[in-house]
Amino acid sequence: MARYGMALDYKNCINCKACEVACKEENGVLLGADKHRIWVGQNEVKGEWPLIDIASAAFLPSQCQHCDEAPCQMVCPTNATYYDENHVVRVDSEKCILCSYCMNACPYDARYVDSRTMTVDKCTFCSDTRLARGETTTACQNTCPTKVRTFGDLDDPNSEISELLRTREHFSLKANLGTKPKLYYLT
Amino acid sequence: MKIGPLNIPLKEDFSLKSILGFEKTPVNMLVAVSVLAMLAMLVIGVATYLMHGHHAYNVTREHPWGLLIAVYIFFVVSSTGFCIVGSLGDVFGFKDYTMISKRAIFGSIVTIMAGFTVIAFEIGHPVTMMIYNVLSPGLTSAIWWMGTLYGLYLTFMIIEFYFLLNNDMKKAKVFGLTGLLVGLAAHSNLGSVFGFLNARTISQGVFYPTYFILTAFITGIFLSFIIMGFRYKLNFDEKTKKLLEGLAKIQGLLISILIFFVTWKLLTDMYGGMPNRAEVAGHILGSGSFWTEVILAMVLPLLIILKDFGKSPVLFFWASLSGMVGIFFMRYNLVHDTQLKPLQMMKTREYQLPPEWVHYFPSATEIMISLGGLGLCILLYYIGTRAFNLDEEEGH
Amino acid sequence: MQVEVSRRKFLQGSVALSIVGGSSIGVTNLLAGHEEHASHGIAESIITKTSTGKAENVPFLCGICVNKCAGFARVEEGVVTKLNPNPYFPKSRNMLCARGNAGIQTMYDPDRLKYPLIRIGERGDGKYKRVTWEEAYEAILNGTDKFKGLAQILDEEKDNRATIGYCNGEGLSKEGFEVLVGEKIGTPNYVDEISICLETTLGGYVNTIGTYGEADLNNADYLISAGANRAEAIITPDTMDMFKRTRGRGLKTVVLDPRFTNTAAKADKWLAINPGTDLAFVLALTYVVMNEELYNKDFVSKFDDFIDYKKHILSNNYTPEWAEKITNVSAKDIYTIAREFMAARSPIYYQGRRSVFSKNDFQLRRAMAIFQALSGNLDKKGGIVYGQKLALPKEEINAPLYGQVEPRFDGKDIAIPAGKTGSWIQFRNMVLEGTAPYPVRVMMMRKHNPMSGVPNTKKTEAFLKKMDLNVMIDILPSDTTMFADVILPEASYLERTSPVASYGGLEPALVMRKQAAKPLFETKEPEVIYKELAEKLSKPLWEITKKYDEDVQDDTKGMSEKEIEEYYEENGFNLADVWEKPVYEANKEMIEKAFGKEAWETLDEKGVWYPNMEQYHKQLNPNEFQYYPESKKNYTTKKDDLKVTFNFKNLAKKGVDPMPTWKDEYNFNVPKGQFRLVTGRHAQFTQSGTTNNLMLRDLIPTNYLWVNRRVAQEKGIEFGDMVEVKSSIGAVQIKAYPTEKIAPNQIFMLHGFGGSSEGMEFAHGNGANDALIIEDKIEPVYGAAVMHETNVEIRKV
Repeated sequence: MARYGMALDYKNCINCKACEVACKEENGVLLGADKHRIWVGQNEVKGEWPLIDIASAAFLPSQCQHCDEAPCQMVCPTNATYYDENHVVRVDSEKCILCSYCMNACPYDARYVDSRTMTVDKCTFCSDTRLARGETTTACQNTCPTKVRTFGDLDDPNSEISELLRTREHFSLKANLGTKPKLYYLT
Repeated sequence: MKIGPLNIPLKEDFSLKSILGFEKTPVNMLVAVSVLAMLAMLVIGVATYLMHGHHAYNVTREHPWGLLIAVYIFFVVSSTGFCIVGSLGDVFGFKDYTMISKRAIFGSIVTIMAGFTVIAFEIGHPVTMMIYNVLSPGLTSAIWWMGTLYGLYLTFMIIEFYFLLNNDMKKAKVFGLTGLLVGLAAHSNLGSVFGFLNARTISQGVFYPTYFILTAFITGIFLSFIIMGFRYKLNFDEKTKKLLEGLAKIQGLLISILIFFVTWKLLTDMYGGMPNRAEVAGHILGSGSFWTEVILAMVLPLLIILKDFGKSPVLFFWASLSGMVGIFFMRYNLVHDTQLKPLQMMKTREYQLPPEWVHYFPSATEIMISLGGLGLCILLYYIGTRAFNLDEEEGH
Repeated sequence: MQVEVSRRKFLQGSVALSIVGGSSIGVTNLLAGHEEHASHGIAESIITKTSTGKAENVPFLCGICVNKCAGFARVEEGVVTKLNPNPYFPKSRNMLCARGNAGIQTMYDPDRLKYPLIRIGERGDGKYKRVTWEEAYEAILNGTDKFKGLAQILDEEKDNRATIGYCNGEGLSKEGFEVLVGEKIGTPNYVDEISICLETTLGGYVNTIGTYGEADLNNADYLISAGANRAEAIITPDTMDMFKRTRGRGLKTVVLDPRFTNTAAKADKWLAINPGTDLAFVLALTYVVMNEELYNKDFVSKFDDFIDYKKHILSNNYTPEWAEKITNVSAKDIYTIAREFMAARSPIYYQGRRSVFSKNDFQLRRAMAIFQALSGNLDKKGGIVYGQKLALPKEEINAPLYGQVEPRFDGKDIAIPAGKTGSWIQFRNMVLEGTAPYPVRVMMMRKHNPMSGVPNTKKTEAFLKKMDLNVMIDILPSDTTMFADVILPEASYLERTSPVASYGGLEPALVMRKQAAKPLFETKEPEVIYKELAEKLSKPLWEITKKYDEDVQDDTKGMSEKEIEEYYEENGFNLADVWEKPVYEANKEMIEKAFGKEAWETLDEKGVWYPNMEQYHKQLNPNEFQYYPESKKNYTTKKDDLKVTFNFKNLAKKGVDPMPTWKDEYNFNVPKGQFRLVTGRHAQFTQSGTTNNLMLRDLIPTNYLWVNRRVAQEKGIEFGDMVEVKSSIGAVQIKAYPTEKIAPNQIFMLHGFGGSSEGMEFAHGNGANDALIIEDKIEPVYGAAVMHETNVEIRKV
């Protein structure tokens, strides 16, 4: 059907955590600092006051990359991790046995354990909430104050995300691992 | 004892009395009390786990595999090792080693059952696993192959043991060979669970699948010394001595190969300072756990073997005990080292220290279940020695 | 707080928790995870998950901070499950920040005030009794054995209404409270957040360029942002517009801040200026511009007093070299910035909007406004614009005149005392010290937490204890609420319809929030409380007026009962006549009359309306919208009416410099071994109002002390170590966060923590309250609280 991905204009990100909260509220993710589906990463700044390296303070939002060749899907013994019809990587909690292999295989630290079902959970591109209702934006995209995120169908050449990827330079995280992530960071 | 068409030869005096009627020497009493204590811990540990689930363990998002996985690997490596040693005699026909076959195969069954017990409390949903491993198998998953093959392996081992008990060497050989091959496949798949982790450069690659087979053999030999030591109470007859000397010489070669492999692994890991690999290797070299493994499992046994070329089995019995402790550390280190380096090195909150190394120490529940598994293993083995005649039958 | 109903009862009460259909709202008992990963032992909370079932989308306005971002509340079976952005409001630009999203946890906070309470213990010990609303109102009027009632106090004070002080917090129902207590009950003694926040900024800009203005950050190409941390102190639409264009994408941004904030992380250049010395920086910039005649000659020639200012700057020799020593910004940078600013097509020296740094803040803001004027970039695209506002018909309040009421007294030694809002610190201190000309015996409070917000908490506590009657209308048992005698629980912003508000600027609009869910438990909407309280107090207080007020006595001499009754109504002594209609009806009537039926329908359905909205509002891409077309944005509205005041001659009469002048006392001095305490914001918290919100607490569990890493190393302080911070008025303990983002002689802690109220389980005792150590100094122009002039000592404990 579609092939969903997300483009992130990460230089706009001000690390306000609105996306983190919206994700938790929309998808019922438990509270707790290690139970996050999405996050904004920051580094310790380099340099000594007052000569601080501004570029080292960049903020990098990240989450499950919904890889086209997802290591988590390859290593799942029961196929609990699967690609749905929109090529979004999903976890069927009925089949998950919590062997945690996917948690170790994921290069992006995207997965965590949902304490209620004791199965593995992660970003679903809001598939069972917003997308299931017919909306076209994810919770994190919709709420962002500086409009970092654009979610859309990569197979549709007329979509906003396709246009962004055609016209702007971008990179993906850990591209050398061959996972073919579908999150693109616009530079 | 007959079960349908199957005839399982038991010892005549096998009863509760024979189980409890062991010679009450200080050593035996110590072992008996320890085993009871470990079983008690198993009960408490399992009860805690049933009440609190995975929250009773110290596994975290960054370190999902903990002590229980290491202990599971420890048990299955012991099982595969027993299988290999057991096959020397009845599959490959090395006459000097046939006397240990029955005992070793029984050992392989008992250890893998202990392993399965321990992992049952680690896997979040064992029933789901049994259903969906069959209904929607992930054929690219090393864990699927490992699990399935180990199930088959256990089946073959039990069948082989049945034939060994009934002295049917021909059939035992067939199932022994199949079981060995399936066991080797299963065990190298277990290694490939780590070997396939492309994101974890310290573990990724050919090393673990092959190293597992090597260490399985080594473990099997250590365990053989231990079980023979207990069987003969360190008072070995000529035939046994010959067996043990042969095993010791093989062990010497294997440990040398192991040291060679591990040295080159660490050297190639550190060479050139590749990120995510070199510093992890450096961290490993700086950890006490690693050197414990090296000294107890590699250096000490090797030195004792080299001392007089394997001719002192008693000394080597003690070295095997230290060797097994070393092997345990080897398994624990392997699991922990894979997860040492966080894959996401940025802070997710302002007020935290930047991620450095992932910290983990087993929780009390994990330790209790692990020790409980060990106790269960020893208990089952002991009952086996009382139930079955594990010595070589005279005449074939 | 020792009240009978347990937490469980709250959750099983009005909140529908059972899982019916697809809706899954659950209370989850979260056990502490591995401590390394900071899963602190959060006990319980409401978490929400949206379903694909039937839902209502109710337009609301977020009430957590001043921005009033518009959103749609998704309501499923009477429970609010998600707060989504409203794409129609130009100001909020289709977003909701972290706090906006976490409004659900505020609404369903287990510690919420659920029913009226009256004090049965001593002030501050948390012993309260649950009562009915009638009993609470009765207690306010006639007191109990523990405290006196309003009637008795006014009687004793012979109807001097000024014995009642009141304080109020920002919000859409703020004006209603002002009307009730200020205009109707008739006291002038009002303090609000202005004198502990941006009073000098507003005053400085209004008195210089005629307005505070809106910075057109979408079209500017050079920006100086000094002490304005827009990445962490979110202001709409500035935050939304600014960060898309910094760092080579069209808006060159220079940030001046003693601390390396998230805004500095997005800047092209960060200058670590000494706290409180911005004025020297601006004066030096001005010097360069005056000296090299880089100013917009056509523009400044319109103003006679420009030449005064030019002479003033040049004769005082405010050179960059002079400023370098004071500010720690190199002369080279000052020259470069001044020249770049004036050469830019559309430069903006951002106004800023925060509590006062230092005593010279008013002069600083004047200097900044003047500097902006020198570029001529006012009232046009890319500059600071005046904009337009959609005028709402002003409601006629029939305010009674009280003959016995005394005037405000807290203007003493203040150059331009604010008539309506005074000076919090001066007001409190004078009452406390006994130097007020008459006793202030009552504090009527709403949505305000001076225990946390006003410097010198000990004095605030003593002040509250000194009162004979304290009344608080609030939604949570804050630190200040715990000193109230009668607590009236209010419905949160998601549980009420508020009066329509009008937001002006480049793209003006009207907004309205509608009730998304019925008020929980026994809480009531503020306007209902005002009405009921007014009804209760009206006649009894009228009796007291009749007894003492000579003007009234003269007027009513010889009148019959009926005539007195008419007099009472006509002259506004009926306190409740303002709230005859419920808010929703009042809104409808007003909007339909002023803007038409269609406007009302749009406002009712979408929460937003502006003229031609149907036509103008378009979606440009999945994230952004056009609100007004380019040609309709209000870039230029003043034209020739624009007036810039360079020389504010009238100030000289009041002993204040008519033109920004540097004084030696403004120098940044920190004794060796001490540190200057600076305050500020993080994007996840709004002062002390959100410290009990579990979703936000997840992001920042407690506040930490920023201390320079090298200094921390010297003192043997590591991350997470407890440190004591001591000033001349108090000491607090706080965990340390060594970082290079702050200077070796300064420290920072996030404001709003260290709650003393046991009623707020998660805020209680969590972190440190900076108001305990900030000295209560005021600046001379308005008496606004100065926040950055406290030196402290730190030591490891």
